[in-house]
Formats: sequence, C-alpha cells, structure tokens
Amino acid sequence: MTTHRELVMCNDVSRTFGRGSTAVVAVHGMTCQIAPGDVIALTGPSGSGKSTALHLLAGLDEPTAGSIEWPAIGSRTALRPGPVSMVFQGPSLMPSLDVLENVALPIVLAGTSDRDARTIADAALDRLGLSGLRDRLPDQLSAGQAQRVAVARALAGEPVLVLADEPTGQLDRANAALVIDALLTTAAATGTAVIVATHDGRVAARLAARWTMADGRLTVTKSCSA
Amino acid sequence: MLSLTWVRGAIGRRAWRSVAEATGIAIAVALVVAIGSFLGVAKRSMTARSVEHVAVDWQVEVQPGTDSSAALETVRAQAGVAYALPVDFAATSGMSATTGSSTQTTGAGVAVGLPADYATRFSGELRLLTGAEGGPLLAQQTASNLHAVPGTVVMISRAGLADVPVAISGVVELPQADSLFQTVGAPPQAQAQAPPDNVVLLPADQWHSLFDPIAATRPDLVHQQLHARLDRRLPSDPAAAFDAATGAARNLEAQSAGSVVVGNNIGAALDAARQDALYAQVLFVFLGLPGAALAVLIATTVMASGNDRRRAEYALLRARGATLTIVTWLATIEAAIIGAIASIVGAVIGSLAGRAFSLAWSATAVLGGTIIAIATIAGPRWRDARRASVSEGRLQADRVWRHRVRVPLAILVLAASAVIFNRTSAQGYNLVLAPEGVSAISVSYWAFLGPALLWVGAGMLTSEFAIVALRRGRALTSRMLRPVAGELAPTVAASMRRQRRLLARGVVLVALTAAFAVSTAAFNETYRQQARVDALLTNGADVTVTATARAGLGADLVSRVQTSAGVGQVEPLAHRYAYVGADLQDLYGVRPDTIVDATQLQDAYFSGGTARDLMSRLAQTPDGVLVSAETVKDFQLQQGDQLILRLENRAGGDPIAVTFHYIGIAREFPTAPRDSFLVANTDYVARSSGNAAVDTLLISTNGTPAASVAGGIKAIAGTDATVSDITSARQIVGSSLTAVDLGGLTRIELGFALVLVIVATGLVLALGVAERRRTFAIASALGARARHIASFVWSESAYVTIAGLLLGGVLAWALTHMLVAVLTGVFDPPPEGAAIPWSYLWALLAAALAAVVVASTVSIRIARRAPLSALRSTV
Repeated sequence: MTTHRELVMCNDVSRTFGRGSTAVVAVHGMTCQIAPGDVIALTGPSGSGKSTALHLLAGLDEPTAGSIEWPAIGSRTALRPGPVSMVFQGPSLMPSLDVLENVALPIVLAGTSDRDARTIADAALDRLGLSGLRDRLPDQLSAGQAQRVAVARALAGEPVLVLADEPTGQLDRANAALVIDALLTTAAATGTAVIVATHDGRVAARLAARWTMADGRLTVTKSCSA
Repeated sequence: MLSLTWVRGAIGRRAWRSVAEATGIAIAVALVVAIGSFLGVAKRSMTARSVEHVAVDWQVEVQPGTDSSAALETVRAQAGVAYALPVDFAATSGMSATTGSSTQTTGAGVAVGLPADYATRFSGELRLLTGAEGGPLLAQQTASNLHAVPGTVVMISRAGLADVPVAISGVVELPQADSLFQTVGAPPQAQAQAPPDNVVLLPADQWHSLFDPIAATRPDLVHQQLHARLDRRLPSDPAAAFDAATGAARNLEAQSAGSVVVGNNIGAALDAARQDALYAQVLFVFLGLPGAALAVLIATTVMASGNDRRRAEYALLRARGATLTIVTWLATIEAAIIGAIASIVGAVIGSLAGRAFSLAWSATAVLGGTIIAIATIAGPRWRDARRASVSEGRLQADRVWRHRVRVPLAILVLAASAVIFNRTSAQGYNLVLAPEGVSAISVSYWAFLGPALLWVGAGMLTSEFAIVALRRGRALTSRMLRPVAGELAPTVAASMRRQRRLLARGVVLVALTAAFAVSTAAFNETYRQQARVDALLTNGADVTVTATARAGLGADLVSRVQTSAGVGQVEPLAHRYAYVGADLQDLYGVRPDTIVDATQLQDAYFSGGTARDLMSRLAQTPDGVLVSAETVKDFQLQQGDQLILRLENRAGGDPIAVTFHYIGIAREFPTAPRDSFLVANTDYVARSSGNAAVDTLLISTNGTPAASVAGGIKAIAGTDATVSDITSARQIVGSSLTAVDLGGLTRIELGFALVLVIVATGLVLALGVAERRRTFAIASALGARARHIASFVWSESAYVTIAGLLLGGVLAWALTHMLVAVLTGVFDPPPEGAAIPWSYLWALLAAALAAVVVASTVSIRIARRAPLSALRSTV
C-alpha cells in the first residue's frame, strides 16, 4: 500500500552495465519505497551494488529495466538541485571554492541569489558547528572536517531526501561518529529522509532501518516501522 | 616485468592523455629538427648559389719574367683544379671603325687573347649576342660605340706599331667584366672604378701575332693570366668551403714560389656567402630559439597538467610498499617511452617540414625530447616520494618569497632588455662582425641578450599581471562574468581567483605563443618586402632596359617594349652626367607624376618628406632638383638655393650650364650606382640640354614573371640595350641570404606558430578541464546543469584567451620592433617600419578562437559525460 507522499517508489528496477557476455547486473529487481523521515542503512559488501542503487534513487542513473518514480517530488529533472542531495564517499568539495562557497553552491544552482545562498549556507554551517571553517579551502581541512562540510552542503538546501554513499568510508571511528551525528541530528530536526550506504556495522546500527544488498539484490532486513 | 605491466597500464589506461603529452613533445622536437635541417640545407644552398655565378674560379696572374708554360703546368697539377687555360691581355691605344660614311673612334681599350675552347670551358664569362664565335669578338658597348656589327672591320691601335685591321665575327656581353679585368692581388680600394669600355676579344693565335711584338718592346702593356676552374668538391658549409678554397689558393702561391698571384674569385664569393651564412644562423637562432623554447614550455605544461593524477597513482604504489627507487624507475620508464616515441615522430615530422634529414639534429632533438619528458614526468614523482611535511612547509614559504620578488625582478629584467637593446641598436645592430683586414668573422652574441631578456621579463610580468588581476579584481571579474555566468558569477569569480596560478600559466602560454606568431609573421613580411625593395633599388624596377649607346633608346624600341608581352607600366628615365662644382655626378631625369607607382619609390629613399611629397614638390618646381645629403653638406646648400649644374653635352663640346633650384634630399634612387646623384624633371633636363634621349626604361610587369618579360624584351632589344630583371638581380647582386633562405625558415616558423597557438589555446584548456572532470561530475551531481558547467569553462577560457591575446599583442609589438631592428644590419636602406601581414594575423586569431571554442565545447561535454564513473574516482 503506497500513497502519494512516498518520496521514491522503485518497482522491479534493474541496472545492467555492458552487453552480451560482458554484461554485469549491478542491481537486480529492486523494489522499494522511501517515505519522508525514513532513516535507512543500506549495507552490503563492496561490489554488491549499493552505489548503483543510490545513484538510481537519486536520479543520477537510469534503470535498464523496471521503473522509478518520485511521487512527492515530481520528475527526475526536478530532483536536483533542491529536493534530493548526496554525500559522496571521497573528497567531494570543489577545491577552488572555500567552505562557505561550497555549501552555498547547490543553493545558487537552484536559483537563489548569491547573497541569500551565502546566508543560508552560513546558517547550515552554524547548525553543524562548522562556522569556524567557513573561509577555509578544502585542502586546509582534515578528512573528517571535509566530510562534515559535505554533509552541511547536502542539508543546507533543506532537501527531502539525502543519499549518502559510504560517507564514513575513509574516516576513523571518531570522525565517522561526528559525521553520522551531524547527518542524523539535522535530518531529525528537518524531517529529511536519509539513506546511508555503508558496510560499517556500527554506523548501520545507529539507523532506524536496514536494507541489505547482495549480488545486486535488495532485501529489507529491518523496516522503518519495525 | 613489473615495469612493463605498470607502464602498459599507466600509458594504456590514459591513452588520450598520453597522446596529448606525446603531441607536446613531438611538436617541440619537430620544430627543432625542422629548423636544424633547414639550416643545413640553407647553408648548402648558400655555398652552391654563391659559386654558381662565378665564371672563373681562379685568375692566376703570371708575374713578369716567369715561364708561363711552367706556371700553367703548376696550376694544372694543383689538387682540386679541373682545368686551366692561358688568357692574354694587351692595352690598345684605341679602336676605330668606318660604317657608311662615318668613322667612329674609341679611346684606349684592351685586347684579350682567348684559347679556342675558352667560351665553352668558361661559359659564364662571355655571352654571344650576335654573330658567331671563333673569330674576333667585340664587347657590347664597344660595338655600340663603333657602330660595329659582325663583318665590320675594326682597326686596333698598338703602341709604337701600325694599326691592324680585324674583321669582327660577333658581339658579346661580358657579364663578369668587373672580375675579368680586375687587378689581381690589388686591394679593393686600388681596383678600377669600372671595367674598360672598349674591349676586343681575339683568338689566341691572332692575339699573339698582333701583340707579341708589343711584348718585346713594351712588356708593361701586356700580361698573362691563367684561368682555372676547380672541381668544386667543397664542404657544404660556406665557412668551411671558404677555408678550403682560400687554403688551396695560398698553397698554389706557396708552391709557385711567388711566380704567380691568385685572384681567388671563388674565395671572394664564398667569403660573402659565409657572412650570409652566419647571418642566417643568427636569424635562425633569433626566430627559432623562442619557438623551440615555447614548444618545450607547452610540452611541459601539457605533461604537468597530468601530475595530480600521476601523484595519486604513484602514492598508491608507494603506500603498497614500493621503494623510492622503484617509484622513480617506473616513472622514468613511463616518461622515457612517451618521450622517445614522441621525439622520433617529431623528428620525422621535422625532417619532412625541413625537407632534409640531419642525423645530428634529429639525434640531439630526440635525446632532448626524451630528457624533457623524463624531467617533467619522473622528476616530480621523485620529489613527491622524498618530500616530508617539514620540507613542504618550507616550499610554501619559498613560494611566497618568490612571488614577492617576481614583479620587481621582471621589471628589472625588462629594463635591462631595453638598455641592452638601445645600446646594440645605436650601433646599427651589427650581429655579424667582420672587421676589415681580419679573415675571421664572428657573431655578436651580446645582441641576443636584449630580445632574450624581453621574452623572460615579459613572461614573468604577464604571469604576475594575470595573477594579480584575479586576486585583486574579484568584484570586477564577477561583474564582467555576469553576462556569461548569471547568478553563478561570484562563485565562478571566486573559483578563478583560487585557480589564478593555473590560469596565469594559460595566459602566459597564449601571450607568448601569440607574440611569437605575430612577431615572426611581421618580421617575415618586413623581410620579404625589404628584400624586394632592395632588389628594386638595385635593378630599378621589375625589368630595366638600359641603352648601350650614348644616343639613348630609339623611339621605335621604346614603343615596341611598351607593347611587349607581360609589360605593365613603362617609366622612361633620362640618365645624364652633370658637374656639381668639380664633382661629376649622375643626373636622373624623371616624370615625377608617374614614377612613384612605377618603381615603388620608398619613403626611406628621401629625407624631409615621403617619396610622394618629394615627387610632388619636384612636379611643382620644373627647375627643381633633389640632391644627395652628402652634396648638401659639401656645398652648404639651403632649401630653395639656386644650383648651376653643367650637363654633359652629347652633341660634343663643352658641358651646358643649366640653372636648377635645390628642393630636397634624395638618399637613394633606383639604378643609382653611387650615393651622390641628382634627380630632376626629365622635361626640364631635355629642354635645357637640347637632348630628349631616353636612356633607361623602368618597367613594372602585369603579373607575368619578370624573367619571362625580360626574355621577351631582350629579343626585341638585341644589342641596342641591356635588359635586367629583378629575379636575376636578387640572385646576382643580392646576397644568398635575401635570395632564398629566410622564406623557407619563416614558412616553417609560421606553420609551427599556428600549431602552437592552437595547442596553447585548445589543448592546454581542454586538458585542464579534463583534469577537473571529477570536480565537474560532483557539480553535476549537486544539480549543476550544462549551462552552469559551461559558465565555469567559458569564463576560464575567455579570461585565458582575452588576457593572453591582449598581453601577447603588447609583447608582439615590442618583439617586432626588436626583430625589425635586426634588419638594419641586413638592408640598406633599412626598413621604414614593420610590415603587418594582416591576413595571416586574422587567420591566426580565427584559429586561436576556433581552438578555444572547440576545446571549451569538448571540455563541457567531457565534464558532463559519464559523471558516475568520475564520481567513483578519488582524484
């Protein structure tokens, strides 16, 4: 049973790379829904299809079979910038922009004036306790700081869905905890749905629901309502 | 094995980047090889060309009292001598001939005795105009003076003996009369001003029967030369060929123990050629070195743009336990393979462009290209692998320090360049030093310093200007970018500000490349134009017809020339002689209304106005006269002064005094042989002297090659006139430098300049963007549309291109000024200013803009394409 309030609806979605004998099925028959406020851990070993699944959910990639819809948002072109944002595994800040400009970038891309975008970005950094870093360049940040800034950027435009691809994959335990704290706290405050792809059990344990990917197949291990 | 696996992966995985890097190296190597090969060909061509017109290689003067047969045997036995023939000379007191009812008599002359096969063996020495060889021949002017034709009997006067008749069998031209009648062994200033007017050439037997009696009574009136032709197996380099020819001549003199003196015509020709060759070498360095340096700079920039990616790959290798030696070794192998393959391809392209293969140049360039690749690719890897955090911090401090001193240093370098340039140009910019009396010639390398410092200083200043403009002008940049980037303008401006060093490198490359292309093109155009002016000044016009008789050109001949094939405009010239005081000068009677266009009179020929101004002044002053600066000084003339000249009286009798008014200074004039001459209105000269004869016709062609037009006119003119054309004048009178060599060099240079401009603007921009593919992929994932990505790319492209072209334009202006100053040492008169080849420059600009547009468009596509794969990458 679904409603129009679902953020994402996937129906038997598959994504195959290559053709013929070299074809690789990264995602196979994925069916799922994401509702506002859902906080989901997407776990699975490396190469199980987690990143591809996230890219499909974010509208960055198109399925080769099945369908994806974003009922509460609209068409695929309306997803970004704005309603859907992402946090990437590696360094993802624009190296030629300072922290404030990096956080403001998706807001400007969404059509907000530069001045307003800076004000919003400032507020987002404030919320995550990163105001002290606003004028620094990415190469002047530690990996943990850079990833928290990336989280601030993802949340600054008040999206309805944040998709984080191994956001703590390159961080030590303390920094990983800080990043997840920042993500969950802000998401809780704004009602943003969050999906975090991770193979770190400790991170997954902090999230309300758990989906597991194995060989491209998605299994709901623990639902949000559980 | 590990090496091969790694290198195959490193090169193969980034095939396009590897190709781009190889392209940079290949272009640099190709340019060097092309220039080097061309220099070799040019020198070989200079040697060949310089001896091509030498009719007699050695004129060996047999000293009085020497056994001439023994001397001839000595010469023939000399190594390198192909053959030698004896030639006898006797002075005659005059010649006369009776044609119809009149008898013409000449002044003193020379009778030359030639062996039967002389004309065949030394074919360049005489050219049969009419009649037949084998009997007595008259020189063209002598035949004119005597009104003689084949069959005419000419009486030859002999000192102390009766006149003897000879029946003339033909009339010949003596194209190399100056060297034929030289005083062998005398210094240049002791040589006769002009060859003898009256010359008769007799078969050797006849000469001996007529003049052996003179030899017995007046040995001072006869002498013998041995004319020798060498086998001409000379080294290809003019300087080495000169040394060989001079050494051989000296060896002959030493072996003959002073019984002969060698007139070394081939040595004299090679002496001029070796100076030209050295000048060519200097110009090759002047023009080629900046191009080669630029090509290397571009190649290293292309390779350096992949450093971040390589750094990450090698860091991974290091993290997995590879030692410093292994990392350096793998990077060296990778670089050496790219460098060697690219260099070999470049050497092949360069050899094709230079139309010759030079093993020395190719091997050196291939080695250089490989070393540059290793230094650029493996050097940073070795440094990265060794670097510790403390030393990195120190490096940052060094950079700040370097940045602070760079502007004052650049200004200092530019000031030094200006000072050195002013000093060298004040001395006439003589690059090739050939001190009188010293056989060795050398290059003033000091003169290179001015332009070299200008390149360096301008490059540094351009870089700093591009950096400061972005650092300090963020608000202005943002405002200027708003039409392109919209709301994203402040973000783009901020991004550009942070990438100012990278962008400044692009600006410097574009500026230096543009400056190189523009200055080379302007230099080439000025050189080409000046070479033509030089030849026009010497020859007078495309084709020049000069009367051989004192009566001038007949009206019938003039009208036939006017309707001859290929003839455009015909400008008649009256050539007289006039006394200024006691000084006999050439006087040219001209039609001032039409002569400017017919002969392309240059402003540099005149002083106190343009050529058109001076001719207009002459047209308005019927009795006006233009005189040389030397005459103005010698006779203390003031503008408007009355000047009474005594014009030659062709009817015979005393010169005719004619009043002129001095109205201006002429420094040069077409066909004028000396610096002292006069130019007046032809109508006034004719009226005043009672003689309207036309002596010279200056002819511009209608586009038909001058040599072909001259051939047609020669057939019409016969022995009544000599006909010369600009092409031959360029080859005979002009140096080998002006005749052939620079054209080929500049074609190579201009071709490469175009390629470098395209590479500097297009490839460097495209690679810069490709390196930030992941950054743009993230921007796309954040929601950036194509227009957003485009606003970043276009803004950067526009800044690099516009700033580069503007700053390059300023540098090009200064460089062109310097390069054209170099020409003051080559041409007399020197160029009035730089000639701008607008069509090439427009093509260059179009190519640069097209390269930017294509590179930017492709970059945007690259940035937008497959963002997912780029997102997975960590660099």
